[in-house]
Amino acid sequence: MRKVLFYAPLAAFLALALFLLSGLFSDPRERASAIVDKPLPEFALADLMQPDKIWTAEALKGETYLLNVWGVWCPTCNAELGYLTELREQGVKIVGLYYELPRDPAFDAPFDLSVLQRDVSEKLTQNGNPYQFNILDLDRSLSLDLGVSGAPETFIIDASGIVRAHHIGDINPQVWRAKLAPLYQQWSQP
Amino acid sequence: MIAEAGQLALTFAFALALLLALVPLYGSFVANQRMLLLAKPLAFGQFIFCLLAMAALIYAFRTNDFTVINVAQNSSSTLPWYYQITASFGSHEGSMLLWVLMLAGWTALVAQYSKALPLLLQGRILGILGIICVGFVAFSLFMSNPFERSLPFFPVEGRDLNPLLQDFGMIMHPPTLYMGYVGFAVAFAFALAALISGRFDSVWARWVRPWALSAWLFLTLGIMLGSWWAYKELGWGGWWFWDPVENASFMPWLAGTALIHSLAVTEKRGTFKSWTVLLALAAFALSLVGAFLVRSGVLVSVHSFATDPGRGMYLLVFLLLVVGGSLLLYGSRMNSVRSQARYQLFSREMMLWGNNVFLLTACLIVFLGTLFPLFHKELGLGSISIGEPFFNQMFYYLTIPFALMLGLGPWVRWKQQQLVPLIKPFGLVLIATLMLALGTLALMQSVQANLALLGLLLGAWVGVSALAEVMLRLKQFGSVTAGVSKLNASHYGMTLAHIGFAVLVIGVAMTKTYTVERDVRMQEGDTVTVSGYDFTLQEVYALNGPNYGGEAAELDVHKNGRFVTHLHAEKRFYRIQSTIMTEAAIHARLSRDLFVSLGEALPGNAWALRIHVKPFVRWIWLGGLLMSLGALVALCDKKYRRKLTGNGEAHA
Repeated sequence: MRKVLFYAPLAAFLALALFLLSGLFSDPRERASAIVDKPLPEFALADLMQPDKIWTAEALKGETYLLNVWGVWCPTCNAELGYLTELREQGVKIVGLYYELPRDPAFDAPFDLSVLQRDVSEKLTQNGNPYQFNILDLDRSLSLDLGVSGAPETFIIDASGIVRAHHIGDINPQVWRAKLAPLYQQWSQP
Repeated sequence: MIAEAGQLALTFAFALALLLALVPLYGSFVANQRMLLLAKPLAFGQFIFCLLAMAALIYAFRTNDFTVINVAQNSSSTLPWYYQITASFGSHEGSMLLWVLMLAGWTALVAQYSKALPLLLQGRILGILGIICVGFVAFSLFMSNPFERSLPFFPVEGRDLNPLLQDFGMIMHPPTLYMGYVGFAVAFAFALAALISGRFDSVWARWVRPWALSAWLFLTLGIMLGSWWAYKELGWGGWWFWDPVENASFMPWLAGTALIHSLAVTEKRGTFKSWTVLLALAAFALSLVGAFLVRSGVLVSVHSFATDPGRGMYLLVFLLLVVGGSLLLYGSRMNSVRSQARYQLFSREMMLWGNNVFLLTACLIVFLGTLFPLFHKELGLGSISIGEPFFNQMFYYLTIPFALMLGLGPWVRWKQQQLVPLIKPFGLVLIATLMLALGTLALMQSVQANLALLGLLLGAWVGVSALAEVMLRLKQFGSVTAGVSKLNASHYGMTLAHIGFAVLVIGVAMTKTYTVERDVRMQEGDTVTVSGYDFTLQEVYALNGPNYGGEAAELDVHKNGRFVTHLHAEKRFYRIQSTIMTEAAIHARLSRDLFVSLGEALPGNAWALRIHVKPFVRWIWLGGLLMSLGALVALCDKKYRRKLTGNGEAHA
């Protein structure tokens, strides 16, 4: 017993080294999202292109899809449109959550839906349109509920309306293959 | 050209370190005296080449050689000359070179001052230090080369030194801190050499003590300087943040403090051997783990270096080899060591054992608090963060019994202490303690049961009993005046360090309790009263420094209508790094600091100002200073300079 005791420091050190090793390959700034494994928050927001159509959490159930937070003002979002369009062609369902920037009443022109619709169609024609439809989050209420910290961000939401993944940053072939595709496949199994 | 020469010097240092790691150690196993004798010149040669490399780097900084990436990223031509020199160790690469230089320096010192040691042991110790040198020189040379050029394209102006580092505290902080970290390598090498030879006795402990003590001295000073720097440079009056990087320096300090106490037992009584050796290994191992945490990017910290997983991987492998190897040796060798000494429950041995238990518990708490977020995440339990409240609460509970014991400890005799003779002196100490603590609070007109009272009680208890104990020892020499020169230096050193701890405890408790902080909006001419001091904003004007602009505020402080001081606070804008820095105005007195930092300009020709009155905050650093001074005094003890014969018996 006494003999074994003198190896205890070594054992403790090796256990520590193991943690340090795995810590080396993960990003300390990465935070687990609070929304994962919770249902999509309740909302009632208008469609960007057809403002008289109202989308709700209930209406989106039935199929696994990606909810992609974006805006024409965000260069990274515009850059990922091309790859997202490829994903759509492979059969991935993508819904856009249009994140509108806050406006300063003293300096900015008042919000004009037709101007925004024109800008959006322009961008989507140029870069490709990955979206089934876009939900307009004008006062960013749904984005707030989802814990969106910026754009682009993407959520995987399963058929029963549960948020299954939260990805911060753009989606490129590498991110998709390594991180999101396995989750998407897992949650789109019936 | 000079940069290449520096790299060449570092390469030579690497070659010499390699020889130092191989030749004397091999010589020690085949009993080849010539190989053992090589250790000393190799250690000196390695140090000289490291020195040349550092000189070349400083030269590159002083001559604004922006073709060197390290210079271009951390210096500029407008930087004052003294910061150009300190910028040479402001980056990861440069600080690694400084680290290597310090390590080579300690190795050379060991080579110089170990004449009294048996040649075999000398060779082993230097050889082990050589192995550590190989690891770090190679890391500097291959993984983070400070001399790397960016030819053919190079910038015409550098990106300047991080303004946070442009401060006197930062000139002193890294070198002293590294001296401490690396200094524990010597105790580590002594412990490993003893493990290889299987001999630990009081003579071994007497050899290690001065080395452990000097490393501890530097580490204490370095941590204190870092805290002082943070206080005046970060602009919000905090002095300790429980940040991972600070904790990385605090852990080896706690283990090192335990080590110097445990060494006393091993030297005086020949016991606690396995414990002492483990602490010697742990102090340096924790320095290495700290270096890994800071430089690998596994933890989020406000002041870690730019990170790179390759570097982290290298350090981890090095850590595994050095620490893992030494702990393996510890496990296989230590079980044959037996301690024979007997002692009673109430004895100096038990008091020092208690000291070690508390210090190591503290170390474990810091360790877990720092790494728990990492464990938690790697176990897949999600992200958490552990902040100040956890550490503060834990240290609150630990300090109370620790300080109580610390007051008692020096009075207790080795082997066995009778309780009765201590009752009278401790009654007196207790009365003096109560009078001091309550008297201080009465002077501040705030007698109540709070943290300050507790801190004052504990501090006075430790301080008074330390002083009374010295008086008692002096009296034992016949008369106090006759005893002053007879009592040995290490006893004075111990007393000084213990008083330092008392001062620190009082400082922390008083600052925590009585600090008043106000964030105010002021226009020129406005007066704000904080803790009885009237702060009047005289004027705010534009600044024009060598590499910064910004604003400066002039304030006058009065108390009860009498002029106290004039304060000058700056908010600097460093042009090249485009960073805003606050230079707080501090008026320091032993009893309180007045602290003003200038904030943002507000609409209506007004400014935001942060005004603090912090009682006793100086005592925190004064305590650290006294502790290091205590170590210095103890180092002057004659017993460390006594000649030791080859078979290990000390001359009387």
